Amino acid sequence: MAFWSKKNKEKEEAPVPVKATEPPTGDLPKKSQENTLGRIKHILAVAAGKGGVGKSTVSVNLAQALQSKGFKVGILDADIHGPSVPIMLSVQTPTEMRDSLVVPPISNGIKVISPAMFSSQIAHIMRGPMAGNFIRQLLLQADWGDLDFLIIDYPPGTGDIQLTLSQVCNITAAIIVSTPQDVALADVRKANHMFETLKVPVLGVIETMSWFVCDQCDKKHFIFKKDGAKSFSQTIGVPLLGQIPLDPQITECGDSGQSIVGKYPESNSANAFLEATDSVIHELSHLRRLSQDGLLSFSLKWQEEKRA
Amino acid sequence: MTSYLGIKEIWQVDMKTLGIKWTNNSEMQFDVVDLRRKCPCAMCTDEMTGKRNPSNDLIPDTVRPNLIKSVGRYALTIQFNDGHGTGIYTYDYLTKLH
Repeated sequence: MAFWSKKNKEKEEAPVPVKATEPPTGDLPKKSQENTLGRIKHILAVAAGKGGVGKSTVSVNLAQALQSKGFKVGILDADIHGPSVPIMLSVQTPTEMRDSLVVPPISNGIKVISPAMFSSQIAHIMRGPMAGNFIRQLLLQADWGDLDFLIIDYPPGTGDIQLTLSQVCNITAAIIVSTPQDVALADVRKANHMFETLKVPVLGVIETMSWFVCDQCDKKHFIFKKDGAKSFSQTIGVPLLGQIPLDPQITECGDSGQSIVGKYPESNSANAFLEATDSVIHELSHLRRLSQDGLLSFSLKWQEEKRA
Repeated sequence: MTSYLGIKEIWQVDMKTLGIKWTNNSEMQFDVVDLRRKCPCAMCTDEMTGKRNPSNDLIPDTVRPNLIKSVGRYALTIQFNDGHGTGIYTYDYLTKLH
């Protein structure tokens, strides 16, 4: 008998349907097994594979831009070993619990959870399985509530944390961040391969540190090479979502706990983030058209007795 | 942008058959005993050679799943009633079993 065969329409057994909305469960308290992610419409991974390219800056400004357009937004800072979102959004330690879940503090209208909130001054020195459990707790034991977007600020690399995140939740799509030079793109290529392997659609690439405008001559200087990420996006067949200049104002905002989109919304850099956000929304609508009603998650309990 | 194959419907056909309808509308049925014997986890299948652990052929025909759950967007995992549940059956793996 064949290992599998085309579904036999003549079989008499009634199908046992699965609830498409049933969440994944794990070794977590009962409350958090109730769907903490179920009221989130889109989960976006902001990733690079490479450290220091501006993933957190993009995450924070993308979140702020989406929030300014009226969306409900949250950020999970998944960089256990180098969290920076709380500094960039000046967010405090959570103080409120609801039904055994942490209520994420809100900064500039954005809900934030970060490992730095629970121990900002110490290093999280832990092996992969511990890191995986930690990130599961941060994600699943937070009361995210209704969100249009949960942005996950990925750590560098393609290891345990990235794999755990891609297994625990159904990530709608990934946004790849890179600076233009080949040294960065070599690692970014691996992040793209990771998402291909895990069947997470890549919406496109956001290039950071694209150019620097000299305040003496107003000329664009392509310090890290010109259009490197643009060429890369063409190579992997995804759109270039935006190019963000190297701008001291972005640094100033990050260090002072604000996004440039929030603090200087009329600036060229803020406009670059806003345009990239429009591209993200556009590509998401394109993705929705491509998607074919797959189950977000499922859990099928096997019946011992045949159902009538 | 690439749209990947996903699961549209999943159901228990009978006592030992799992049914899956993919997002491309094709349908497949899987013998759950064969799925147990062909578990892709590192204990059951050599990572380097792809050879199956010979003792898997001795798994009895009475083995059944207890629970089948999604893993992200790319795989499912099966908790069997013999206590085994470490296999991650990627959609690529399942369709290649065809």
